[in-house]
Amino acid sequence: MATHDSILTLELPYRERLELRRTSFDGGPNGRGPKVAVVAGIHGDELEGLYVCHRLAQWLEHLAVRQPGALRGRVELYPALNPVGIDTLQRFVPVFDTDLNRNFPGHREGLLPQRITEAVMRHLESAALVLDIHASNVFLREIPQVRINQEFKTTLVPLAQKMNMDVIWLHGALTVLEATIAHSLNSTGVPCLVVEMGVGMRITPAFTEQLLIGILHAWQALGVLAPDLELPALTHQPLVADDSNVHYLNAETSGLFVPEVEHWTSVKQGERLGVIVSPHEGGEQSTVCSPVDGILFTLREYPVVYEGSLMARIMAVDTPASAAVPS
Amino acid sequence: MTTPALLRMTAPLREDFEIPYHDIGDRDLNPKLALVAGIHGDELNGIFVLSRLANFLHAVSEGRHTGQTLTERVIIVPAVNILGVNIGSRRWPFDSTDINRMFPGYDAGETTQRIAHAVLSLTRPAYYRVDIHSSNSHFEECPQVRLYEPTDLERTTAHLFGLAAVIELRMNKAFTTTLGHAWRTCGGENFVMQGGQATVLDATHCERLFRALVAFLYRTGILRGRQLSAEDEDVHHFRIGQTVPLISEHAGFFVSRLAVGRWLQAGDVIGKVYDGFDGEQRHEVRAPMAGLLSGLRRQALLFEGDLIARIQSRQSLGEGVDTYLHGQGQ
Repeated sequence: MATHDSILTLELPYRERLELRRTSFDGGPNGRGPKVAVVAGIHGDELEGLYVCHRLAQWLEHLAVRQPGALRGRVELYPALNPVGIDTLQRFVPVFDTDLNRNFPGHREGLLPQRITEAVMRHLESAALVLDIHASNVFLREIPQVRINQEFKTTLVPLAQKMNMDVIWLHGALTVLEATIAHSLNSTGVPCLVVEMGVGMRITPAFTEQLLIGILHAWQALGVLAPDLELPALTHQPLVADDSNVHYLNAETSGLFVPEVEHWTSVKQGERLGVIVSPHEGGEQSTVCSPVDGILFTLREYPVVYEGSLMARIMAVDTPASAAVPS
Repeated sequence: MTTPALLRMTAPLREDFEIPYHDIGDRDLNPKLALVAGIHGDELNGIFVLSRLANFLHAVSEGRHTGQTLTERVIIVPAVNILGVNIGSRRWPFDSTDINRMFPGYDAGETTQRIAHAVLSLTRPAYYRVDIHSSNSHFEECPQVRLYEPTDLERTTAHLFGLAAVIELRMNKAFTTTLGHAWRTCGGENFVMQGGQATVLDATHCERLFRALVAFLYRTGILRGRQLSAEDEDVHHFRIGQTVPLISEHAGFFVSRLAVGRWLQAGDVIGKVYDGFDGEQRHEVRAPMAGLLSGLRRQALLFEGDLIARIQSRQSLGEGVDTYLHGQGQ
């Protein structure tokens, strides 16, 4: 059954403590298999991963009743790495005003954010797979995807293929930020996959269920779950995006962006995707059209745009897009 | 003459806006010096000092200060994050982006990448470049020159400001996207100045920073004539390994009466930590070694793992001493 503990507690200025809480499931006497972990809530405004942790806990609790021997390894859930941020609806570490995901690998005697990241790194040392779940931000909605640094693609892409995601996005080394949890873990030999899905401050249950199936398959492949345990079938095959086929649509002018297409649809070159209007007048300030044939995998959720604001990302595809997009 | 702008942009509901700058001196020359402040909209000292300096240099270049000559062209951007300044926000307010994490920028990218790109394009041609900061709203810095893994030339030139402290720090992974770092790829000589505390306009710090910039202008020959202020502080150069951060192992209310920029003996009391509920004194913070108090906490609310002070030691304490401390306020 589940055990609950804190891997770090730090004193707050007035009577309270910051607790970094963990929920663990252990295979018991059969549990010689590897350890895997899910971390979420690095950014206090991203909630999708918290709900994924809940669903995993629920699934593992049922499994313990239904098939007690089927868990062969150890699962650790860390739903809120930035607990005070989650509690106070702040993306960054409150008061320190720093992005926790730019503070890895941290230091035991450093500032509070670095103490958090050091404790996390220490506890994930021996993991066979870590999933770091993000939910974009409050501006953009993302289709379920795994993001991988080119540097680690040999190890990570085969793992990501099993995750039931829609997209695997390979990033060039230049755009990779070294002080993230993923880069810090992968460079010490602990495989870490970054999942991005949904939108900040919301949960998208359909995406959660999709990812849940993928996580279970990945865990089974690693020997965390018994090989004969029956799992729901995979429903999605990922398309591979990289720096060469992803096109960014940034706003030409400021105003209100109103999309005219659905998220995750195939689009044709020149097709109208939306419009930027002004609340002061009736005309259109700017029309937003697709630069290529492809799939719209990022779509702006928050309507107000400044010049330069990202409105959409499109992955160019050679094959007719309609064939690649699941109906 | 109309005020030049480094970027003009539309806004969703307000009037179009622009980021103005001062272009002083002979416009046929390549700029010799670029001064930038207000990348963080709540750091007021640098903005105020640069506006006053621009005022002074305009007067010199227009011949209103007899005996003073501006021999070179100088670019001054008092505030980059103008929307932030207007609402007292450190970050670009619309999407909470830290502009000093967006360099080198991209002219077809996000709004703040476009701003970063425009700032870098404007300042790139200058030989000397200075970015002025004022810590964050929790911490006060004595006026100082910061060097991040500098060239030998920068080490020497940094003394021309005549500020009490020249402090070398290691480049941090998180700082590869700052303006100061982007400048390193452009040649010339580059400096970061720190002074005071965000959200506070401190007249004493401003005066020091102003005098430091004017001294620099004279010593580099950018300004010629009768020097307005000659008296210098003793300059102390602190290399990597001579910066000691004091980090709290206790939470509570931190109280200190000290001023930044003073010298401490080992064992001197820096401040006290009280329990905010029962008023008990929980800890007395003492200087672990003698040195210059270059920075001090001003926010009373203290976390476990919070920065209390920074001390500059005359002796090197080894390479590792500051490696884990992410610099604040830049």
